[in-house]
Amino acid sequence: MNNKSMLKRLISNPDFSRLLILILMFVLTAVLQRNFFAMKSIVRNINSFTPLILMTMGQAIVIISGGLDLSVGTALSLMTCVLTSVMKEGAPITGFYALVVTFIVAMAIGAINGIGIGYLRIPPVIVTFATSFIWLGIALFLRPTPGGETVDWFQAFYKIRSVETAPAFLKAFGEIIPPALILVLLGALMWWILSRTKTGRYIYAVGGNSESAYETGINTAWVQMKACMINSVFIFLAALFFVGQNRSGDARMGDPLTLKAIAAAVVGGIALTGGRGSVTFALVGALIFSFVSKIIFFANIPNAYQTLFGGVIVIVAIAASQIYTLSSRRSVEESRLT
Amino acid sequence: MRMSAKIRESDVYKIADRYKKLLIAFGLIVFLFVLGEIVVETFFSVGQVLLTIKLSAFIALFGLCQMVVIASGGSGLDLSVGYMATMTAVFTAAIMDGQNANLWLAILVAVGLGVAVGLANGVLTAYAKLPPLVVTLAMANILQGIINVYTAGRNITGRPSPVLQIIAAKSSGMFPNILFILLIIAPVVMIILYKTKWGLKLFGSGANETAAYLSGVNVRVVRCTAFVISATLASLIGLLLIGNMGIAFKDMGSNYVMPSIAAAVVGGVSLTGGDGNFVGVILGAIFLQTLTNLLVALGWGDAGKWTGFGIVLFVLLIVYVSDRRRR
Repeated sequence: MNNKSMLKRLISNPDFSRLLILILMFVLTAVLQRNFFAMKSIVRNINSFTPLILMTMGQAIVIISGGLDLSVGTALSLMTCVLTSVMKEGAPITGFYALVVTFIVAMAIGAINGIGIGYLRIPPVIVTFATSFIWLGIALFLRPTPGGETVDWFQAFYKIRSVETAPAFLKAFGEIIPPALILVLLGALMWWILSRTKTGRYIYAVGGNSESAYETGINTAWVQMKACMINSVFIFLAALFFVGQNRSGDARMGDPLTLKAIAAAVVGGIALTGGRGSVTFALVGALIFSFVSKIIFFANIPNAYQTLFGGVIVIVAIAASQIYTLSSRRSVEESRLT
Repeated sequence: MRMSAKIRESDVYKIADRYKKLLIAFGLIVFLFVLGEIVVETFFSVGQVLLTIKLSAFIALFGLCQMVVIASGGSGLDLSVGYMATMTAVFTAAIMDGQNANLWLAILVAVGLGVAVGLANGVLTAYAKLPPLVVTLAMANILQGIINVYTAGRNITGRPSPVLQIIAAKSSGMFPNILFILLIIAPVVMIILYKTKWGLKLFGSGANETAAYLSGVNVRVVRCTAFVISATLASLIGLLLIGNMGIAFKDMGSNYVMPSIAAAVVGGVSLTGGDGNFVGVILGAIFLQTLTNLLVALGWGDAGKWTGFGIVLFVLLIVYVSDRRRR
């Protein structure tokens, strides 16, 4: 009897079923992709999943704090444009300048979104919709067409082996652990540390109930602004990866990631109402989302159908998660009552 | 005597307050024209004003879609309008094939597509309680995807019917014909919104959901209907767009999404729902088009346009929407 109810509780736990779906998708992909476990394809998969994973974790933090950021895609594009505008090919030192300047830009992006959401109390969706066009416009000023210059060592963010001047042991290290994985781990570590500080707790408190958080003396506006700036750091990491990979900046390349990141966060159990969900499971959501895209790719669907299926998946994922979360919460409440 | 004078004075304030946002929008337009005349010579002329109005008519019509959705409350916005219009234009181009006789079929198809997409948006937001912006953004992707699939193996063929071209592209004397369409639609919209039961229900659902529900309004149906109207209107605007351009192409409508929302906000439509004045939206559209003209004249092109629109929307959100005072 007890066992049965425990099993029931386990199945009705959304996180458990999410892991189950992830494992299912993993197995399906492993079956469909030839040489799935070969080193080469593992690295390739990690590389293609990384941007979405980083963007999803950042977006998840904003959503938990009670916001929603529609500007992440164009913010990413802008950062790639800034990086490639500051760098000059053949002058390695400009790479460092680019890092510093772009990080400042990232912080400014987070701060402006944060001021709109937190201090001015404009509905998050609409204010980030407005700022997304400011980022797009500035990115177009810098790079009307895709292109730009990068320094050679910047490829280290994608593939250390391509950097000729890199020492041999670093090249070997990059073959085992791809830089993309390090970027994801860096982001995850940052959040892991932050979630153990007051800031982490406050982000949940403000997202859950901003009124009572305010009454207990939390500076809610500052907390929401910090959430936006943490998100910016994640976007910054994704921008480093993109520029390392493509060696160019593009004012339009980030657009599709906005919606995907939101959808992946929702699949990972982040409630769009704020205050609920964990960033670890946002990562799980991003993985599920990436595996599904991979499976669709293997199903030999023509390229023209990609956008269509992307949109359908988002709606189905969000609707399913919403219905599932609502019903499972009800069933958990019922089981508590009995 | 003193009493009546007092009442009149307060009436003046009331009227001034009601039309404050319209006056601000109008003032902004005048400001831009003056600025344009100073910075770029030969910016202001009757022809220029009429051309601006013609171009802004499309923004204003898309703004009407947004206004209806925003007014119904629930923090609604429709990001799929531009793609809806593109899809209709692309599909009906082949149907019309340059014949007036086929226009009715094209209109029927446009309405059918609009109702279907609008229903999907409405059900997902009003009944499944999903955030409108995320749903309509995903819907925009789906529609873009359908257009991609349709145009993948073939060229977009067909031309609009001549009647549509006359309505959307040609002028009578110096006045562009689309101006007359706007002059017909504006009062009709105002009468529907302010004088009919349905308009009252729409504004009621937006202003106070609970009160509307308790007085017997089915809020979900109203919000769902708002999305259907928005998509259907957008679909019909697609016909006008192809009439104006003469051909249909993949990105013809997507650049109108951002301006349509900005026009609604500049025009004083409250984003919390429950109000909306179409005249304001038209003024907002004219303001945005004038801004575009000015930035193009300065040689800042697309980059300047999007930055400008973004900043305008951001600043106006701060002025109109932000509620610092409560806290």
